[in-house]
Amino acid sequence: MHSPSQLKRDFLKQWLKGLQMCSYPKKEMSILERKKAIKLSADVAMASARNATSCWGLALIANASKEGNDKCLVEHLLGQESERGKMASTFQLAILHKKLRSKKIIKKSCSVRRVKKLTPRMVLASSVAKRLVKNRTKVLKSLVPGGESMDEFSLIKETLDYIVSLRVQVDVMRCLANASDLLNCKGVHG
Amino acid sequence: MNRALPEMLHCLNMPGNVAGGGGSADISVLERQRARMKWQQDQNFLIGNHELNVFSAQQLHQLQGSVSNDPGFAEYVTRAVKQDPGMENGWPDVGKFGGDDHLGYGACGYGNVSGFEMNYEAIARTVSCSPTVAAAISEAAVTETKGKESILPEKLNSAVGRESSKKRKADKNQNLKVVAEEDAKEKRIKGCAEEGDSKITEQNSSSKANISNNNNRETSTDTSKENSKVTEVQKPDYIHVRARRGQATDSHSLAERVRREKISERMKYLQDLVPGCNKITGKAGMLDEIINYVQSLQRQVEFLSMKLASVNPRLDFNTENIFTKEIFPACASTYPTIEVSSEMANPAYFQFSPVQQVVSCCGLEMGITPPDMALRRTTSAPVSIPETFLDPSCFNFSYARIFLYFSKSKPLQPGTLSYKTSIAWSFNKEDQQHFPLRHLQ
Repeated sequence: MHSPSQLKRDFLKQWLKGLQMCSYPKKEMSILERKKAIKLSADVAMASARNATSCWGLALIANASKEGNDKCLVEHLLGQESERGKMASTFQLAILHKKLRSKKIIKKSCSVRRVKKLTPRMVLASSVAKRLVKNRTKVLKSLVPGGESMDEFSLIKETLDYIVSLRVQVDVMRCLANASDLLNCKGVHG
Repeated sequence: MNRALPEMLHCLNMPGNVAGGGGSADISVLERQRARMKWQQDQNFLIGNHELNVFSAQQLHQLQGSVSNDPGFAEYVTRAVKQDPGMENGWPDVGKFGGDDHLGYGACGYGNVSGFEMNYEAIARTVSCSPTVAAAISEAAVTETKGKESILPEKLNSAVGRESSKKRKADKNQNLKVVAEEDAKEKRIKGCAEEGDSKITEQNSSSKANISNNNNRETSTDTSKENSKVTEVQKPDYIHVRARRGQATDSHSLAERVRREKISERMKYLQDLVPGCNKITGKAGMLDEIINYVQSLQRQVEFLSMKLASVNPRLDFNTENIFTKEIFPACASTYPTIEVSSEMANPAYFQFSPVQQVVSCCGLEMGITPPDMALRRTTSAPVSIPETFLDPSCFNFSYARIFLYFSKSKPLQPGTLSYKTSIAWSFNKEDQQHFPLRHLQ
């Protein structure tokens, strides 16, 4: 794994680039718009910094590029070369989604036929545990971008990746926030 | 539950009019016995059982004084005794027929009395054909103190011996055959005693999936066996895997096993990554922690982006471009120092260094002397941090330390609230992150 500081530098570079691009078209933006722009560019930058290795990154970019406003930003950010890769990834994701959906339909139809004989009082501890785990994996899938189209095993891997990059993101943002705060305080006092 | 007992008794040509003797714990034993009986021949079973049952019942009757029985059990025993009128009271000497064998059995049967199950199975081997009474005997043996063990084996042996002698008296040829076959069977039992355990557990797992006890035991043994090694002999064509005890070898379960192991390995990485996950072992609990952590990280991103948006009226971070470059090398250089300090567990050093570094970088740009800045900033840290920033699942430990540290220091100039909280946060984060991140590198 490459060092986190390297990742941080990459992320920051991309992010600032994106922010500059954001600020260029409009001069006056409301706070919410600004926040959205910041967050979006941060996310996209993060995803692109890990583009080659992570599935969630591709999904994130795909989601971001779906909306009209942000599409141009994303494209600018990523550059022309990776756009093709992005298109490919979006296609792949769509295909995966369809596959999963059909799988689920088949599963459901099969499970209806299967009859399990369990006396009511003998609710197995294992089945309760399985249910819990299933619910939680569902929640986790909703949290991690692009998680729905993943089986459990790769979901864990993507979560690992996502957690690391989220941490990096938070770190960088906080440093930046502190720095800008210092600037402001300095400006106020001095 | 009571249906099991009458069923057994029907097989024995006895009227199944017995109250639940022995209690509920018999049932699991009974059903195990049932599985065993598949390979016993019916005739011998019927004949042998009848008389064995009778005699052992009478033996129990003799034991009643020393054994604490529940009333159902006593009733059962007396009924069993009554139903065979033509019983002799004279007990001929044991020793003649197969005394050695049975004594031997008694010894090995009671060799491992520590396990509840083992007791059942041991007695099953010695008295292979009378499940109900055997179960009762075993239960009685277990419920009693272990001091009585010495008595019971002898009496059981004598019971078995007497049964055999009685049979010889009643019908020589047939009983000899019966006993001989039983002997052979028992020898077979003895021979495959070790495998019998796994077989029993396997049979249990396959046929008795409904019993929660068994199932729990199975899952626990499975999980414990997962940790044991699998011997793999890799050949060019196939991968031969030796199955562990009590586990099937078909491809599905093998694949399942491999998959499970992979997932558990990944979960271990996650355990290192997510703070506070060391104590939790279950998958569901771990997933819960992971979900909480990811959610909190996402919320932090939201908050920080909001903060950045509020700080800058315009989205210009160009001025910061200059010193961000300095920030990162500085931050990078603090990582090893922070790690060292984390091992030293020195709070003062811990909490000064990151801010010092960050502030010093900015200070260099702005011409402020680092130590003054550091001191001012750190000692003006919040004594009361708003509750929203306390995330108990993740940051308990370091927050407690920070609180302790800052409460001791004298408050100087109060900074802005947002700055304070972000500083505190940065303390929190930096000491948490770098240590686990090392694992991944």
